[in-house]
Amino acid sequence: MSRNLLGIRHLEPEQIEHLLAMAKDFKKRVNLGKPVPSLGGHVLGMLFFENSTRTRVSFEQAASYLNLRTANFAAQASSMAKGETLKDTVLTLRFERLDGLVMRHKESGAPTLAARYFGGPVVNAGDGQHEHPTQALADALTILERKGTLEGLVVAIVGDVDHSRVARSNAWLLSKMGAEVRFVGPKTLMPSHTGMLPGQVFHDLASGIADADVVMCLRLQKERMDGGIIGSIAEYSKLYQINKDTVKWAKRDCLVMHPGPLNRGIELDDTAADSELSAISAQVENGIFVRMAALAWVFEGVTPARRVEQAAKPKDKAKK
Amino acid sequence: MKTLLYNGRILDPSQDLDLVGSVVIDDDQLDYVGPNLPEVDADEVYDCTGLWITPGLVDPHVHLREPGHEYKETIVTGTQAAAAGGYTTICCMPNTNPPLDNPALVDFILDRAASPEAGGVFVAPVGALTRGSSGEQLTDLGALKKAGIVAASDEGRPIQSSAVMTRAMEFCVQLNLPVMAHCEDASLSAGGSMNDGAVSAMLGLKGIPRSAEEIMVMRNCILSLHTGCQLHVMRVSTWGAVELIRQAKYLGAPVSCDVAPHHFALTEDMVGDFDTNFKSDPPLRTQVDVDLILQALNDGTIDCISSDHSPHASHEVQAPFSEAPMGHAGLESTVGATLTYLCHTGVLTPLQTIEKLSTAPARLLRLEAGTLRPGETPVAQVTIIDPDLEWTFDVHRTFSKGKNSPFQGMAFKGKAVATFCGGEIYRDARFDHGRIRQLA
Repeated sequence: MSRNLLGIRHLEPEQIEHLLAMAKDFKKRVNLGKPVPSLGGHVLGMLFFENSTRTRVSFEQAASYLNLRTANFAAQASSMAKGETLKDTVLTLRFERLDGLVMRHKESGAPTLAARYFGGPVVNAGDGQHEHPTQALADALTILERKGTLEGLVVAIVGDVDHSRVARSNAWLLSKMGAEVRFVGPKTLMPSHTGMLPGQVFHDLASGIADADVVMCLRLQKERMDGGIIGSIAEYSKLYQINKDTVKWAKRDCLVMHPGPLNRGIELDDTAADSELSAISAQVENGIFVRMAALAWVFEGVTPARRVEQAAKPKDKAKK
Repeated sequence: MKTLLYNGRILDPSQDLDLVGSVVIDDDQLDYVGPNLPEVDADEVYDCTGLWITPGLVDPHVHLREPGHEYKETIVTGTQAAAAGGYTTICCMPNTNPPLDNPALVDFILDRAASPEAGGVFVAPVGALTRGSSGEQLTDLGALKKAGIVAASDEGRPIQSSAVMTRAMEFCVQLNLPVMAHCEDASLSAGGSMNDGAVSAMLGLKGIPRSAEEIMVMRNCILSLHTGCQLHVMRVSTWGAVELIRQAKYLGAPVSCDVAPHHFALTEDMVGDFDTNFKSDPPLRTQVDVDLILQALNDGTIDCISSDHSPHASHEVQAPFSEAPMGHAGLESTVGATLTYLCHTGVLTPLQTIEKLSTAPARLLRLEAGTLRPGETPVAQVTIIDPDLEWTFDVHRTFSKGKNSPFQGMAFKGKAVATFCGGEIYRDARFDHGRIRQLA
């Protein structure tokens, strides 16, 4: 069974450390023009069932540094639009001899299902409201670079936690590495039961980010307003925006982060987004190196020939 | 032809009977039920030592899927599964395609169920309350009743408008027709795929809050109280729903309810990593709910046990969690689960177990079933249960087309080993001993 990266929840702290160390090393090598391992010979399927520019470009960059070829699938153009099930799409890709998959899907758990049938490495590039492991790794690498450690830090995740895969993956990663995680936001944007998520819930911004080392804002999706979850965007901004006044409640040297895309003036104002506290551009850049690490990690020990062998004697690992 | 079942533990809640004795079936009728007879001239003799002899089991909640969804189940395969599960009478739900909203469809179902290739059990159809189960215009309930429906329900698409539900109940009172209700406030459950709780929060799945069920249970109980309409709440899943039903009964509302095995045996934690075999409607809840459901089974607040047989095709189940259909094939696992989780654990006595699997649903839905009193059922309906048979449930060995079960691979203690509805309609291969043994 090959390795997958479906979420942070199942990873051991040592595995997270290993991935972050790999990413750090790759970043150094790339910046110094030194060689990185080549995964040449492998073909990586880029299966994006949900629109994404940033994550897709980041994975493409990571793949190209590793000398991986990519094959792209656009959801609208694929056979999914013709009614094919996800299982059949994945089985098809397996017998098209793709070596690995990077997958984004609007449904939580879809990559877990894909991994069951694909048989090769699957990297989750974001599934529904479940996990976005490479984003959490990028954020962790960014914090590490600026703070030197994750252990003992207070990290406040502010905003729409309920609908956020970024919040979940970050909470798992940071808590496993010894940070204190807080979820800050209105009750209507918080899961109704957070007992199995590693974080403490605050509804008040001031107490939620008090003495925080890191304030991580989440994107507020405007379409959520239609469901009557919050009175208005103005209401949200008044209560939860990180700006030059509210950021003072956190530590003086706190890091301000955002996974993007940013709604300027809603979650963050310009002064917070563009200040020296902001780590937003570093998050984007580090995304490339953690994705290199993720791909190198899942392909460890996998030879392209393995695919040929498997194709020669197909066996359906379908769950009973 | 005379069949003798001798030396079994006869459990008949309709007569409060719990004794070791014999049952004689003469042609297709019950001839004798009582203490062992010294001598019977029988053509077939079953040694039932150590086994239970019970009234044929009655399932108030089965989806036979025909017409419209024959790829999931047909009347033939569904009734065969029922016979193998120990059932002799099953109520089939109206959410077929088209829904069971006109008398011609009732005729069709009864015809198919009576065909020789079917399982040989009685099928008691439940008709739709509204046309197309759209929750708006009432069906011709009088004509449907005449055609043979035993209750009315909009099942999976419960009536949201309280005004429509009131009219439906008023009409059913006058027809003396029970209303069976799946209780769900669609505005609260929309888009949800599992219990709204800690596990859904962790998996990032939209939850179905317990309030969605409880609000509708409460509304329907209130309407039952005020209209006098008999209400049967199907498959309760939350402790709150159970408490509301307890209160409604206390107030004198003609309310009853059932629970399905997955709701008394399993919890939300079993969804694990998006295992769609654990996706139910209503969803699997928490241990607190299970504990209170067990208590309510014991004290009688929960009247019966249904299989909530909801077969689906494999390709539908092998899908992302939120896209997979809800429910499980249950006809062939319900007796095993009930004995394992309720009877052997002491929640229910053997007599209470049979009450909830047979006599109570028959009484509530006024079916000629659920009793071993000779002459009270159209034909002899008898189930032989081995309460101590240890077996592993395997969906690949079931009659049902639906292979979606949360009990796959689980160890059960207790199984229906033979079913008689008129003649013998099912016998487990393991039940060979005592078969056709001539007495001197």
